[in-house]
Amino acid sequence: MFPSSLPSLRTMARRTGHVLGINWRNLNYIYPFNHRKNFPLADDKLRTKTELAAWGIPMADTLGVYDSFFELRNLGEDLAAHDSFVIKPAHGRAGGGVLVVTGRSGESWLGADGRVRTLAEMKKHISDIIFGIHSFDMEDQAIVEERLTLHPEVEAISPFGLADLRVIVFRGRPVQAMLRLPTRNSGGRANLHQGAVGVGVDLAREETVHAVHLGVSVTEHPDTGAPLLGRTLPGMEVVLGLCRTLGAAVPLKYLGADIALTPRGPVLLEINARPGLEIQNANHAGLRGLLESGS
Amino acid sequence: MGSWNARRIGYALALLLTLALPLGLIGYKLFVLDYPLDALIPAVSYQVEINMEVAGHGDDITVSTYLPKSDSRQTVSKEANFADTFALSLETVGENRLATWSGENITGRRQIRYTLSAQPHNIRYEISPELRLPGPEDLPPDFEAYLRPEPGIQVRDPSIQEALQRILPQGRLTMLDVLQRIHRHLQDNLKNKDFSGFTDALTALKLGEGSCNGKGRLFVAMARSLNIPARLVGGLILEQGSKRVSHQWVEIHVNGHWVPFDTINDHFAEVPANFLTLYYGDLGLFRHTSNVNFQYFFKMSRRLVPKPEAEQSANTSFLNLFHIFAVFERIGISQNLLKIILMIPIGALVTIIFRNVIGLETFGTFLPALIAAAARETGLLWGLVGFVLIIILVSLVRMVLDWLQLLHSPKMGIILTTVVILMLTLTILGVRFNLFEFAHVTLFPIAVLAITAERFALVQTEQGLAKALRIMAATLVVIAACYVVMDSLFLQSLVLAFQEVLLVVIALNLWLGKWIGMRVTEFYRFRRLIFTARSA
Repeated sequence: MFPSSLPSLRTMARRTGHVLGINWRNLNYIYPFNHRKNFPLADDKLRTKTELAAWGIPMADTLGVYDSFFELRNLGEDLAAHDSFVIKPAHGRAGGGVLVVTGRSGESWLGADGRVRTLAEMKKHISDIIFGIHSFDMEDQAIVEERLTLHPEVEAISPFGLADLRVIVFRGRPVQAMLRLPTRNSGGRANLHQGAVGVGVDLAREETVHAVHLGVSVTEHPDTGAPLLGRTLPGMEVVLGLCRTLGAAVPLKYLGADIALTPRGPVLLEINARPGLEIQNANHAGLRGLLESGS
Repeated sequence: MGSWNARRIGYALALLLTLALPLGLIGYKLFVLDYPLDALIPAVSYQVEINMEVAGHGDDITVSTYLPKSDSRQTVSKEANFADTFALSLETVGENRLATWSGENITGRRQIRYTLSAQPHNIRYEISPELRLPGPEDLPPDFEAYLRPEPGIQVRDPSIQEALQRILPQGRLTMLDVLQRIHRHLQDNLKNKDFSGFTDALTALKLGEGSCNGKGRLFVAMARSLNIPARLVGGLILEQGSKRVSHQWVEIHVNGHWVPFDTINDHFAEVPANFLTLYYGDLGLFRHTSNVNFQYFFKMSRRLVPKPEAEQSANTSFLNLFHIFAVFERIGISQNLLKIILMIPIGALVTIIFRNVIGLETFGTFLPALIAAAARETGLLWGLVGFVLIIILVSLVRMVLDWLQLLHSPKMGIILTTVVILMLTLTILGVRFNLFEFAHVTLFPIAVLAITAERFALVQTEQGLAKALRIMAATLVVIAACYVVMDSLFLQSLVLAFQEVLLVVIALNLWLGKWIGMRVTEFYRFRRLIFTARSA
């Protein structure tokens, strides 16, 4: 797995100094800049939405929130006006409990997973969320929101689900970014360890520069063969502005912002108070060097 | 930032306190109170279990064996008999203690268990080079028994004499010369053989090889033919674990002392601290009624006990507050339990190093230390087997519960109950199949196992089976590391004698808590960033 010819020790030591390890991230970034009491802002998606909407940050439109069973009586009427939407728990983990509805089929709804669900099944799904099946809390809220679609330029390289742009934002400054593309094997999910492709985005040049799939560097999409490098992404100026706003709006000063690039522009999906480190492999660049060079 | 400096000062103070306080206390104990260091370091003791099993067909059965007794070299205490259908009688036969279990109308398989605590010491004799071989007039009159031939010890056989003539030089011989020549010859020129039944002195001599009993008989025969009193010793080599093999060595009467020799393990005029004497003479260790399918094994576990001197000084010292043994003994907490409690923070430290410095992902921070502590009774291998079995089976149950879509807390309640039921089942199976170590899985921390099974299933669903198994494998590695460290007699003695060492553990954790280096596994994870240049 290691390359056959090694660079000099000095080079390796210098490069190691640019990589951000977990210990360093926790002690020098998360603990000093993300106060524990502010974590709920990131963990509760409903709170993220209501607080950040006030700052004019674009987010998916909320169609409804359910936090008790009696509210479900009117679910049929509530959903009548919408053909496609997403139902998700406010405190979900790793995509658990997320139901994507793509259309109607008579009285029933058509899921992105291909299954048809009746009104009773929709009610069951929502009451499971409220019951806390998908979160460790005893109770949770179910959010029904607009189903976002991808900008055609992004959809061209991500036909298997909603790709998102993860940006590490440090005190309002976007430091490193990667595009996460679901694959056939990742089941529509944009998690790298579930098989999604990570595409590093150079924020200065505003184009894709490197990509990894299951720990291996790639230049093409593993399913479609579409070239992944040297692409420009739509709406990057808006993304940079959005990150600056996050710096002012959110008390978490070291965060991962997940952004969907949609036809109507970038939309914030959620924020993460403990963003992972794999973004460095996607970019083939250390985060520590970038964090320290700018501050 | 002011708070930044305050935090730094607080950290430095905490570090100073947790290092200076224990060092000061240890120094005070050693230099001012003059604590005798080797009395403070606890002694090694072995819990010995003699397990016998017979199968009866309605007849009377007797089983007998020799039990060790206390003497100047070994202390035997806390003896207990577990054999409900058999009556135990103890008698002194010659220099030996013979235990006989007799039962009437015995049917089916029956177990006899006898446990004792043994604390032998190492002993070593210096034999003066001037010492002559004894003449008949030098020996006590009742020593005839140590000089005469026996069925397996052919003292007067010509080939013994011939062999001695080959081994020994001409001229006047000293005791030391003779013993060294015989010992070296048996140790170096006779091959060691694994035990394979009764070997007499002549057979060992002819074959040029022998197990402990063959070499022992030959040594005794050679010594006796030179008019030196000699006897066989039957005993056990004490070591952690279970075994069936007993051992024999010899004792030679030198200038009023019985001096031990072992020509299998090359102990000249000495025996190590883990040799437990069971009986003297050329005897079989067990005797029993025939046709009872007699089986036996010995189980031994190493324990630490305070030296008697230490207990005395603890009771007389005004500082016996520091001396925790007596306090705990008074409320019925055994020293063994106390030691486990004291070792858990050290096990946790091992896990923390594996997690934060090496970068292995384990289930839980404390789980490996707790499992390692519990595995003292099962042994490492059975401990790991039990742990894996319980986690895998319980997480299968959890998957079914997940499919039923139950709420978190009741689901955990079911998982906990499943762990308890599984442990009981494994214990019953362990006893049924005579895997007594394995049967001790009941001592595992139940709640920790339930939480771990839940975490295993969670990782399996969210991140895949491969990832869950990887974390499991890493957890096993860390449990093994914890076990090895926590089993270290040196560390155990250290914390038992100086409990303030626990503050040093806090100091080490304070240091690790500010350790910002790359984890070893991160060098692998980010190897491309470090070892290869970006091609673009």
